[in-house]
Amino acid sequence: MSAQGEEKPAPVLQLEGVSKSFGGVRAARDVSFSVAPGHIHAVIGPNGAGKTTLFNIITGVYAPDSGRIRFEGADVGGRPVHRRVAMGIARTFQNVELFSGMSVLENVMVGLHVRTRCGFLGAIARPPWVKREEKLARETALDWLRFVGMEKVAETPAGDLPFGWQRLVEIARSLASRPRLLLLDEPAAGLNARETRDLGALLKRIRAQGVTLLLVEHDMSLTMEISDRIMVLDQGVKIAEGTPREVQADKKVLSAYLGG
Amino acid sequence: MADKKERSGSPGQEPPEPVPAGATPRRAGLGQRLLPYAGYLVVTAGLCAYGLWADNYYYTQLLTFIGIHTLLAVGLNMVMGYAGQISLGHAAFFGLGAYTTGALTVHLSWPPLAALPAALAVPALVAFIVGMPTLKLHGYYLGMGTLGFGMIIHILFREWTALTGGPNGLVGIPVLSAGPVSLAGGKTYLFLVWGAVLLSFGMCSRIVHSRVGRALSAIHFSEQAAAAVGVDTMRAKLEVFVFSAALAALAGFLYAHMVTFISPSSFSFLVSIRIVAMVVIGGMASIWGSLFGAGLLTLLPEWLHVFSEYEVMIYGLVLVVVMIFFPQGLTRGVLDAYERARRRKTGAGPSA
Repeated sequence: MSAQGEEKPAPVLQLEGVSKSFGGVRAARDVSFSVAPGHIHAVIGPNGAGKTTLFNIITGVYAPDSGRIRFEGADVGGRPVHRRVAMGIARTFQNVELFSGMSVLENVMVGLHVRTRCGFLGAIARPPWVKREEKLARETALDWLRFVGMEKVAETPAGDLPFGWQRLVEIARSLASRPRLLLLDEPAAGLNARETRDLGALLKRIRAQGVTLLLVEHDMSLTMEISDRIMVLDQGVKIAEGTPREVQADKKVLSAYLGG
Repeated sequence: MADKKERSGSPGQEPPEPVPAGATPRRAGLGQRLLPYAGYLVVTAGLCAYGLWADNYYYTQLLTFIGIHTLLAVGLNMVMGYAGQISLGHAAFFGLGAYTTGALTVHLSWPPLAALPAALAVPALVAFIVGMPTLKLHGYYLGMGTLGFGMIIHILFREWTALTGGPNGLVGIPVLSAGPVSLAGGKTYLFLVWGAVLLSFGMCSRIVHSRVGRALSAIHFSEQAAAAVGVDTMRAKLEVFVFSAALAALAGFLYAHMVTFISPSSFSFLVSIRIVAMVVIGGMASIWGSLFGAGLLTLLPEWLHVFSEYEVMIYGLVLVVVMIFFPQGLTRGVLDAYERARRRKTGAGPSA
């Protein structure tokens, strides 16, 4: 694995021999890798390499056929999606999945779901602690909108925003759950050059908050610039892993991309 | 401020910025602050006025029925309008509430108020048990599942003769009384029912504007995304389904003690469809729309006698028309049409 002699802190995320097939298609074959805390870790690979499948396995949408997933040392294998969010794994979607009819602020407030606790009876009785929680949730959501620069559209229905802005709102929503690991599925897809540059800066600011990032990305210049480590997948198999420089020099990677 | 930010776990490194206008709850005038309560005030005032001046048995009955139907509609609206889950078997919970209290008061001679907790708990429990497997389904499949459930319960009402009186119905349900105080008489009961309606509106509106309500809305727009941000979608759907069943059961309880005679036909598939039509016409995700939908579909059959003969056909037609032309419901649709017409009149200029 990593040959460098640096001391290694305990990984945030660790996959051990994870495999998953759909019918005859093997979307992940014995994938093992680990993500160090505070890193921006990218997963790249040609279309159909199994990147999104890997995300769905890590977040709990799919159960792997075999293998283990550890988050901060704990095996999260059998836990449902929402439990993993509560543990500190958040994600965004390739095609941005906002709650389109709800306001931008409400979207981010739903992101606070696992950090708040008012239930059905609490909502009906509305005791003082629920009012306080509600107020705090509103303020916190606004803080996260400010963090991504979207506070001015807080009251706008999320579906009315331009695509690039929706993406930022989705990031704010995922951050609201206070994750320690954030999975971003092609965050730069559909963004123009300027927006992509801003996104790179935002991702670094998120890392500075102590959040470890795992991203799937097609925009190579962005990936190479911001990533601490890159893993390359091809047809469900990990074919390379290393720093951006190492990966760029790797022959197997070149042939996978150029179809050699 | 800094201390608060710490606790709320917000990104602390950001330079402090002035809070934008939309951020703090706007300081509203008295009128604006009363606006959310306007509906409650209007309904209360209307009832008081009716109580003071009117004295017409027929209208009192009719208004009481509207109240009971509104309870049904607002409960279903929580499931359909807010959480986006269709239920075509809601008459079953209405019936379970009515038959539970009916059986307890007729066969076991319980006082009605003592039967109330059971009349709410039994349907709620049934909703919980039925909801667990059924709410895993989506779209049409959920529709079919709940439809089947409604039919099974309807058959149960008809066939379990020892308990329900079978097709002949259950006769001799006592009217409501709290100890020596009778709550029966026309107007008293009217106020009681509408008290329950306003209470349920208050509860629903609080749920909608809470963490729970946001989670339900989120499920409506994207169940996958709701789960991905940490909402236990199954639990949220189950809770709202049980709550909705309890409201329908309350309606059933009030209905049974009003008419004192219940039979399976009052809780058939057609009734389930009628409740759905009330929600759709009044407006999905609109609490006050439920009142409008329930009112309209209670009055129409009374006013237009042709209506009752072609009821199913008309509901079908109305549902199709409303869904195509007023997907937001008739209330919202009419308001929007009015708004458009006014704008067209006031000026053809590009901006007002």
